[in-house]
Amino acid sequence: MSWSNVRLILAREIRDQLRDRRTMFMIVVLPILLYPLLGMAFFQIAQFMRETATQVLVIGAKSLPKEPPLVENGRFAERLFSAPEKALLLELTFAPDEPRPDRPSDATGGVESRREAEAQVQAGEYEAALYIPPDFGDRVETFREALKQRAQRSAQGPSTPDLDLRSPLEVPKPEIIYTTATEKSELTSARLGDVLRRWTEEVRKANLAAAEVPQRAAERLEVVTTDVAQQTGAAGAARWSKVLPVLLLLWAMTGAFYPAVDLCAGEKERGTLETLLSSPARRSEIVLGKLATIMLFSILTAVLNVASILIMGRVVLGQLPGFGMIPAGGVLWLAVALLPASALFSALCLALAAFARSTKEGQYYLMPLLLVTLPLAVLPATSGMELNLGNSLIPVTGLVLLLRTALEGSAWEALEYLVPVTLVTLGGCLLAIRWAIDQFNSESVLFREGERLDLGLWMRHLVQDRKPTPTVAGAVFCGTVILMAHFFTGLAMPKWNDFGGFARGMLVGQVAVIATPALLMTIMLTTSPRKTLLLRWPAWPTLLAAVLLAVVAHPVVDAIRRMVLSLYPVNPQMEKWLEELGLQRIVAESPLWQVLLVFAALPAVCEELAFRGFILSGFRQSGHKWRPIVYSAFFFGFIHGILQQSLVACLVGVAIGFLAVQSGSILPAMVFHAVHNGLTVVSTRASGQIVEDWPPLGWFVRAGTDGALEFAWPVVALATCLMLAILFWFQRLPYGRTPDQRRQERIAKGLQWNG
Amino acid sequence: MIHVRGLTKHYADLRRGTLIALGGIDFDVSPGQIFGLLGPNGAGKTTALRILSTVLRPTAGSVTVNGFDVATQPEEVRRRIGFMSANTAVYDRMTAREMVEYFGRLHGIPEERLAQRMANLFDRLQMNEFCDVLGAKMSSGMQQKVSVARAIVHDPPVLIFDEATAGLDVLAARALLRTVAELREHDKCVVFSTHIMREAEKLCDRVAILHRGHILAQGTLEELRDRHHERDLEELFFQLISHHDEAHAVVQGGSEK
Repeated sequence: MSWSNVRLILAREIRDQLRDRRTMFMIVVLPILLYPLLGMAFFQIAQFMRETATQVLVIGAKSLPKEPPLVENGRFAERLFSAPEKALLLELTFAPDEPRPDRPSDATGGVESRREAEAQVQAGEYEAALYIPPDFGDRVETFREALKQRAQRSAQGPSTPDLDLRSPLEVPKPEIIYTTATEKSELTSARLGDVLRRWTEEVRKANLAAAEVPQRAAERLEVVTTDVAQQTGAAGAARWSKVLPVLLLLWAMTGAFYPAVDLCAGEKERGTLETLLSSPARRSEIVLGKLATIMLFSILTAVLNVASILIMGRVVLGQLPGFGMIPAGGVLWLAVALLPASALFSALCLALAAFARSTKEGQYYLMPLLLVTLPLAVLPATSGMELNLGNSLIPVTGLVLLLRTALEGSAWEALEYLVPVTLVTLGGCLLAIRWAIDQFNSESVLFREGERLDLGLWMRHLVQDRKPTPTVAGAVFCGTVILMAHFFTGLAMPKWNDFGGFARGMLVGQVAVIATPALLMTIMLTTSPRKTLLLRWPAWPTLLAAVLLAVVAHPVVDAIRRMVLSLYPVNPQMEKWLEELGLQRIVAESPLWQVLLVFAALPAVCEELAFRGFILSGFRQSGHKWRPIVYSAFFFGFIHGILQQSLVACLVGVAIGFLAVQSGSILPAMVFHAVHNGLTVVSTRASGQIVEDWPPLGWFVRAGTDGALEFAWPVVALATCLMLAILFWFQRLPYGRTPDQRRQERIAKGLQWNG
Repeated sequence: MIHVRGLTKHYADLRRGTLIALGGIDFDVSPGQIFGLLGPNGAGKTTALRILSTVLRPTAGSVTVNGFDVATQPEEVRRRIGFMSANTAVYDRMTAREMVEYFGRLHGIPEERLAQRMANLFDRLQMNEFCDVLGAKMSSGMQQKVSVARAIVHDPPVLIFDEATAGLDVLAARALLRTVAELREHDKCVVFSTHIMREAEKLCDRVAILHRGHILAQGTLEELRDRHHERDLEELFFQLISHHDEAHAVVQGGSEK
């Protein structure tokens, strides 16, 4: 690695970007102008914002009590609004069969009128309707009269009989009919709600007066709130802490995206990338030089935007209650977090932009990048997520939570999770840099030509130009088909109460949804099902070693499962759903051999054919050894549905993939899978009772909180050592490289000179 | 200086299946020699020269440039070559001076020597008038001169020109050909690809006629003329390609039957 070359490339790219008016506008001019302009525009637009009147249908107005009046002169009484002119915002229409209260009539507002009102609101003729039950006013009057009499009698003596004091505000009550399908209707409902709240308050006061109870006796107790942040000058930090981390990350990404597209896709388009590739600079030096430039502009964009927001905030938002200034320490945290965030986004944008053939194509990749990043950044800022070890390990989310916690003033709590957040962010960054370097080493990416989109041609190519094993695209396609089919059949499946139903469901899920697509694609898209599905008889010791590995891995996997559950606890709703599913009961109560057949043997065959058969073989065409194992394990993990289960399955999938690759056969993978699942089933069935029946077992296992057996830590430690020893034995097996892997190794050998 | 043996390059193409861009070509180029690679569009010239400049990797075969293997020692190869093609453009937002200086530094030339070398090159290529003009504002001829200066700033022993005169007017093309001819005088090993016979006749010491990834004939111009009993190079070129296409059609027809 020549750092002088990296510096040279960095200096050139910076100069190049500084001379690009579009980039400078996006990065420097826009943030400086955007927020003041937005602020000015906001004030200008506010002048034009006017509340418009909405239509309300009133049914049963004649049934309203006379005192206090709700309706006066064809409108709601002005005293029921915060300002008298607001009464004009609710235009009332009285139901045709309902007379105005000042014009008495015999007509009654009944069920039919209410149904009609619903229909009219649905049809959009009225934004909302107010339905007053037919005898509502009479009941209010009767109730008040009863209160009056009670007060008089209690004044005469204590031995008076009780009167009927059921409140008229109990069922049936006045009702607001509206629809959430339109915003206007929701707004009208809210306005009506306010009016009726004030009116019912008046009704309550009138009732109290009738009962001769002083108003103060029923007065609400007021609670005083004190914001201690006012004393520390950190008022409103919570609001800033939600907004600023998200804005910082989004601007860091936007600031990285445009220079990345210009420096990679733009250079390809302008023909200068080949000029640079033919210079002595290594690909890694080119990537690092460009990455540093992109990072610099990403940081600059984020800093300018956040600074502009903070200044605007001080001038405009600082005037608003609840939007004070963030403490200086918070700004420092933002500055510290910006570096890894920019590095991560810059590397991601660089890799994506290197893939793009032209600037135009590069721009298309912004949306997918946003779609992935936005939920990770916005969810922790808006939901009740808290910073803990589990959440700190989620890329982007951990960073946002860390910043939020720090900005809220809990810097010590944030410091506790600084290491995991930094490790995850830098890990993501290194992976993205590796990806970007791979893109720069890939001829098919650098010299990609435009292909006409022709699905028919592509399908014909898949079938006619078949190779012994599937392609990477075939593996991705198969994995995606299986995942989607599994998801939708899972939704469509009925809920089972017995083992028979569950077994049928598993049979459909495993055979029809997982194994069949893989087998069909093997027949249609490859010329050698034997090579694709690794249908080769392995040496006996490997089968024995797979059994042993599954046995010793069981306590380790169990410990990992418990660790994952403590990091990411299953939420109560999911727990309730799992309980209702009754899987544990079914496993415990059904005959063991049947349970083993359904939960161990069936998935071992079907899932292995798909994930270590077709999908792994497809990914191996990339010519690498570990990447296919990890990618197939990702698909294997995803199929397990629940996040916590997926994480563990993904790790187990890596181990099984390793066995398949090292042994060159699917059988050790199937054996491991079957034994592993079988042990899990047996462990679930074995309750704490077994430890009570066999006290010496207590040295090794104990009943866990979930009822299943939990292994003592010395057992887990010993099992880990044994597991590593067996994996090491597998590693030493002479495994057969695929032709693609041999090709990739030749390339890598050539690239050793190239860094 | 350049030794190419059995050079093969395959591409996967959705429409045509596996595309053989180079079907195992051999040639050698010595110092002080201009080797012309002649062929119609799509013959495989650019692929061959991109492999020589290490931008592409060969599927099979061996290529050594100045004693270094392009597949295993690409960086050493790139230090010793100057590569210029229709695809190696100049930066829009850099002046001629900045660009030549940038590539000189990437080649690790000491500052003082670089300054001398640039002054010398700018005089020789008559670039002083526009050396502070941005690439985007230059004419095609100016850009081509900058590309030449960029390619030879480190004084490499091997120079590779791929369709270097494409898109140039007569004057600019003539100036470029003169520069390439001068390089021979400086004992450089030059590979020059073109589909213009006149350029090959004027410039090349030896030529290879490349078509559909195969070399149909190679040697000095005189050797080719004598061997094929044709004095006019363009006619000779046309005949060789026609015969090859006819033979190809016969083989294709036979295999289809």
